[in-house]
Amino acid sequence: METITALFPWITNGPLILVQVMSGLSVGMFLFLVSVGMSLIFGVTRIVNLAHGSLYMVGAYLMVTLIGFLPQRPWAFWLALLLAPLGVAVVGGVIEVALLRLIYRRDPLMQLILTFALILVIGTLVLIVWGPDNKSVPRPEALAGSVRVFGQPFPTYYLVVLALAPLVAVGLWLIFYRTRWGMLIRAATVDREMLGALGVDVSRLYTEVFMFGSWLAGLGGALAAPTVAVALGMDGDVLTTAFVVVVIGGLGSFAGSFVSALLVGELQSFGILIFPAISIVLLFALMAVVLIVRPCGLFGRPEE
Amino acid sequence: MRTAVPRWLVPLVAGIIVVALPLVLPGFFVILLTEIAIVGLFATAFNLLMGFGGMVSFGHAAYFALGAYAAALLVKRAQVPMLLALPAAPLVAAAGALVFGFFIVRLTRTYFAMLSLAFAQIVFTVIFKWTSLTGGDNGLLNVWPPEPLKSPRAYYYFTIVIVGLSLLALHAVVHSPFGYALCAVRENPRRARFIGVNVRRHQLLAFVLSGFFSGLAGGLFAFFNGSVFPDFAYFTKSFEPLVVALLGGVQSFFGPLAGAVGFKILETYIARQWPVYWPLFLGAAVIAVIVLLPKGFVGLVEGRAWRRRLVVHK
Repeated sequence: METITALFPWITNGPLILVQVMSGLSVGMFLFLVSVGMSLIFGVTRIVNLAHGSLYMVGAYLMVTLIGFLPQRPWAFWLALLLAPLGVAVVGGVIEVALLRLIYRRDPLMQLILTFALILVIGTLVLIVWGPDNKSVPRPEALAGSVRVFGQPFPTYYLVVLALAPLVAVGLWLIFYRTRWGMLIRAATVDREMLGALGVDVSRLYTEVFMFGSWLAGLGGALAAPTVAVALGMDGDVLTTAFVVVVIGGLGSFAGSFVSALLVGELQSFGILIFPAISIVLLFALMAVVLIVRPCGLFGRPEE
Repeated sequence: MRTAVPRWLVPLVAGIIVVALPLVLPGFFVILLTEIAIVGLFATAFNLLMGFGGMVSFGHAAYFALGAYAAALLVKRAQVPMLLALPAAPLVAAAGALVFGFFIVRLTRTYFAMLSLAFAQIVFTVIFKWTSLTGGDNGLLNVWPPEPLKSPRAYYYFTIVIVGLSLLALHAVVHSPFGYALCAVRENPRRARFIGVNVRRHQLLAFVLSGFFSGLAGGLFAFFNGSVFPDFAYFTKSFEPLVVALLGGVQSFFGPLAGAVGFKILETYIARQWPVYWPLFLGAAVIAVIVLLPKGFVGLVEGRAWRRRLVVHK
């Protein structure tokens, strides 16, 4: 025990650990927004959208533009936060209608390669539109400072993100389990052919689901924009982490994304304390273990 | 009619062209040809998995980068001579492929592709973050080959010999009992298992072999480029062998090599004129091929005709 406390002096520091838990939860929140969209799209369309991290990046960049464009008022941030994800949803809709719709019947690997190619296309378009320099989004003034939590400083903005987390999760749950649209989505993940045979316009549902998933990714990017440098590499970073979340939780599982996003958020938050340089390796180690023990993830169903 | 040409004629003519070209072409093309050879080896190694094993890796840049960094680090940090450092490239890459592949081959198709991508991101992150060893974002500079190999022409011949031997080895692998068993695994893993093929072991061995030659390509590229960068492990680099193999044709052993010629010539002219637009062009080209020309590389998996040809056509 003494060697442990010597190695990790923070381990006896209860408040610090609690703050770390909270910051892990807020990281998990961003991850949840991205990965639940990815998982949702996979559940319905059976396409693993590797460009999901790119949509997240577009959300963050749209935030940059909107903040710069809107008048500098307190409400501008919130309006931008509303509009940026909608813009990403439109981008997602275009991608679905123009490209994905043409390849639903094709080999899954071709679909995977296509979404992989989309990463390059979107990445370059972002570079052309916004340029190579890193951008930043200021936090709204009211949330710019930090508050004391258990005697430790904690950024107010993260606190708001934390408060949003249960709202979003409950909202999504209500959509999935208490609306007709959510019922259709759940039905589509079980048996798409049967759903079509019963007279549901599956093709429209695909577009809607893809747009909704893109909206979630855009919301994640827009919310994260004030906490990170908005830069060109963020698509790859987010993709890999969200991908770890989805694989651990199980592709196509709502509960899986939630649990695993929080788990991964915590792991990242504490990984940085324990092994600062290689915290991401911890993630992939966890993923490898999960894949070996349960190849389809904690909450997933076996591949068809 | 293919049969009209004697079997030995094509390799002979190809060999003469390969040896003679640098003597008549200006230096710029010699450099281009060297790069084509290296990319061709990388894509052929990749295609051992995709075309023959039916396993699509999205993270092959990892093994390329492991090879490149292994060779560069030995030269830079341990002052090992280049000719001793180069063999370390495929060995280190193969070791990495063994460790990662052990987990990756447990999965199939989509999950296989994604786990390979994830491992490649680990390699990228480690290279990027471990600044004291790898130089991080700045990479490792001045890893040129020693004097007799320093000129582009000399390095070209050096590369050609190594790539040629590697292609012969890969060709032998594909047409060995192991290669046929690998095709059987691709066609129908369950049947392969029933007739006594250890599916995972075959897949893992193919993965390690593919990693080995990808690493060799990486090592050759390190000395060709004179420097190594974390980009070598980035996922856009993993896209390269995939595109090259797809464009050239995964149906045949030499398809990726032909793809490398076309790809590099395109890249040289497009990427030099509009470097910013190159990834856009690359991505758009792949999307166009997939969407508009579904028969362009007749269903990697959907059409079965080419597979039969692949097995019968020796």
